[in-house]
Amino acid sequence: MNVSWLIAQRELKERVRTRSFIGMAIVGPLLVMLLVYVLFSVGENNKPHWNVLIVDPAGIMDNKILANTTGSISYDFANKYVQLKDFEKSKRFQKYDALLELNEKIISNKAAFLFYKEKPSFLFATSIQFHLERRLEEVMVGRFTKLSIQDFRGIKQPVNLAFRNLYDPKNESYNLSSWVGFFFGSIILLFILLFGMTILRSVSSEKSNRIVEVLLASVKPRQLMFGKIAGIGIAAILQFVIWTILIWIGLVILRETLFPDMLQISNWNMSEISAETASGMENSLFRSKTYNDFVELVYSRIQFGDMLIFFLLFFVSGYIFYGTFFAALGATSGSENDGQQFVLPIMALLIIALWAGYYAVQNPVSDVTAVLSFVPFTAPMVCMVKLAQGYSFGQGYQIYVSFTILALSSFATLRIAGRLYQNGILQFGHRLKLTQFVTWLKNG
Amino acid sequence: MLQLTSITKSFFQKIAVDDVSLSLYEGEIFGLLGPNGAGKTTLIRIINRIIEPEKGEVRYRGELMKGRHLAEIGYLPEERGLYKTMTVYDHAMFLGRLRRMSKDDVNRSLNAWLEKFEITSWKNKRIEELSKGMAQKVQFICAVLHEPKLLILDEPFSGFDPVNVELIQNELKSMKKAGKTILLSSHNMKSVEEICDRAALIHQSKKIIEGSVLQLREDRKDGRYAIKFKGNMLAFTHALWTGFELLEKEELAKDRFVAYVAMRGENNFQDLLKTLIGQIEIEAAWEVLPSMQQIFIETVTGKNI
Repeated sequence: MNVSWLIAQRELKERVRTRSFIGMAIVGPLLVMLLVYVLFSVGENNKPHWNVLIVDPAGIMDNKILANTTGSISYDFANKYVQLKDFEKSKRFQKYDALLELNEKIISNKAAFLFYKEKPSFLFATSIQFHLERRLEEVMVGRFTKLSIQDFRGIKQPVNLAFRNLYDPKNESYNLSSWVGFFFGSIILLFILLFGMTILRSVSSEKSNRIVEVLLASVKPRQLMFGKIAGIGIAAILQFVIWTILIWIGLVILRETLFPDMLQISNWNMSEISAETASGMENSLFRSKTYNDFVELVYSRIQFGDMLIFFLLFFVSGYIFYGTFFAALGATSGSENDGQQFVLPIMALLIIALWAGYYAVQNPVSDVTAVLSFVPFTAPMVCMVKLAQGYSFGQGYQIYVSFTILALSSFATLRIAGRLYQNGILQFGHRLKLTQFVTWLKNG
Repeated sequence: MLQLTSITKSFFQKIAVDDVSLSLYEGEIFGLLGPNGAGKTTLIRIINRIIEPEKGEVRYRGELMKGRHLAEIGYLPEERGLYKTMTVYDHAMFLGRLRRMSKDDVNRSLNAWLEKFEITSWKNKRIEELSKGMAQKVQFICAVLHEPKLLILDEPFSGFDPVNVELIQNELKSMKKAGKTILLSSHNMKSVEEICDRAALIHQSKKIIEGSVLQLREDRKDGRYAIKFKGNMLAFTHALWTGFELLEKEELAKDRFVAYVAMRGENNFQDLLKTLIGQIEIEAAWEVLPSMQQIFIETVTGKNI
């Protein structure tokens, strides 16, 4: 068996047995879920009641919607077209919090817009969407089919209700997807930092307790370094898989529990619901939930397949790229604490990468963003953001270019760090200086 | 078995090993001696291919030393460590597998050694649960687990109590009998005298002397003889008369002494014994050879002691 693989296996076993690994596997996903919950809650305003004006010039809804009149949302209908500027400034629309615009094409394109003055909470947003969908189902069944409402729901398509800020109707600042990419990129950087530090500590500790000399009698320094980086890297991937599974479960639980009041039949004004709708409601509740914005973001808008594949590719390359520096630092330091001062430049690079990700979120089409996506230090972060934003048509090749540059750079750093590792691993008791790095680099 | 030719290695322009050549023969125990910083550990690391020499070559059984030969070599470094959280079994398995042993072979060999040292109960203990001496035994076992043909031990006795020194010495002698070749670096000159067939002294990066331990001592003898006797010291002195010279004496008890004597003129050991018989009660008599300790200090400091 390959000796590097034996070293990787030992390292992996040692890592997964540690309390910090187990703790991180539990606390990490919990923190992410807490963050998700907080992010969704941040959008909530404290308005107990929302007034929504439904502008329906074609009379499609027939001035009806499935809402409990004593509930938290009130609807009024306008059968004439209302200009957004009027809605924004006219006194007669002051009492309304949002305008739900329906046009005659909604029957065919399933698209509607809701212009809000203050961003609605997800609970409100989901409720409004749910109300609209239920009513449209009835309208469509009545107009076009002889199907029962349950049968219709089996074949229907969701309404694409786009929530728009009244003051930014073109939605130029809408970048939720970018933040998803930013989140993935941040996870890469977080894991690189945490597991990079693990490499540093592991190498330093093997060096200080002198087991390294026993190992070097059986393996080459580069094999030892590679095995160590690989073992800790596999532990990192394992940690990520655990996070993914737990976060996935957490998201499902959130989906089931975040909007419980919407699911209560008693909240609905039964006089406005047909008997068929009421009887079919419970069965259709789960399906209806799959169309809310939260679930759409998590399950539809994020291309998990692509994101996870590229996440792994960029994570592995980025981890090797940065991890080799940590390994070289551990090997060249004279004592366990000696290398700490040289961790700062690596951390500075990671912080720059984080900033680059933020810049990419704010400036998705900037030339600087394009350049940052090719720079190996920042590529893992920026490419995740760009991937989440979606590459423009004809520019998809860029992500492969970024990955190739990063992979080649990782290979180069592996060679450079291997040289430092080889020359420094058996030097003890010195105080690490920059000049030593240069000397060890020269000594092949 | 092992041949080093003109090995030279330096670090940061400081020469650690300077043109050292050595030969180890199959089935012998070879002592590598020298003060701290002489270059012994560097030489041992070069043999183990941990570092590469700038000049010179290492040959193992006539072939240039390659990575594959390391499977036949066991190495116990001076500054040795273990993973504290691993069990003895896991440790042995890990290091044995690195030496290309199969799992079954590691199991078989580990069990045999644990039984030999009567420490089978340690098998599943973590290293951090063991005392320093216990951990050293584990280190020794890990070094010999793969039944190496050449065993290299850097200061194998340091940190061991006398009982364990004896245990390891006996084990090394058994291995020698079984045809293994052993290279050991040590400051424990008594052990070197007791178990080494040949030795070399490294000083200031250069090899100063090399040869069989007995020959090295023979070459440096200065014609001293020791007589252990019961009787009167005055009578002993009178008996020597002009043919011999009393160099020094040790009083073992009220009427028991060890006297160190040098010959004068053509007199020899036989003449000395003939002169003394009847004057004192001789308990033992022998030719005094310098100890390896004396040779070491004299060579390193350049002073006669």
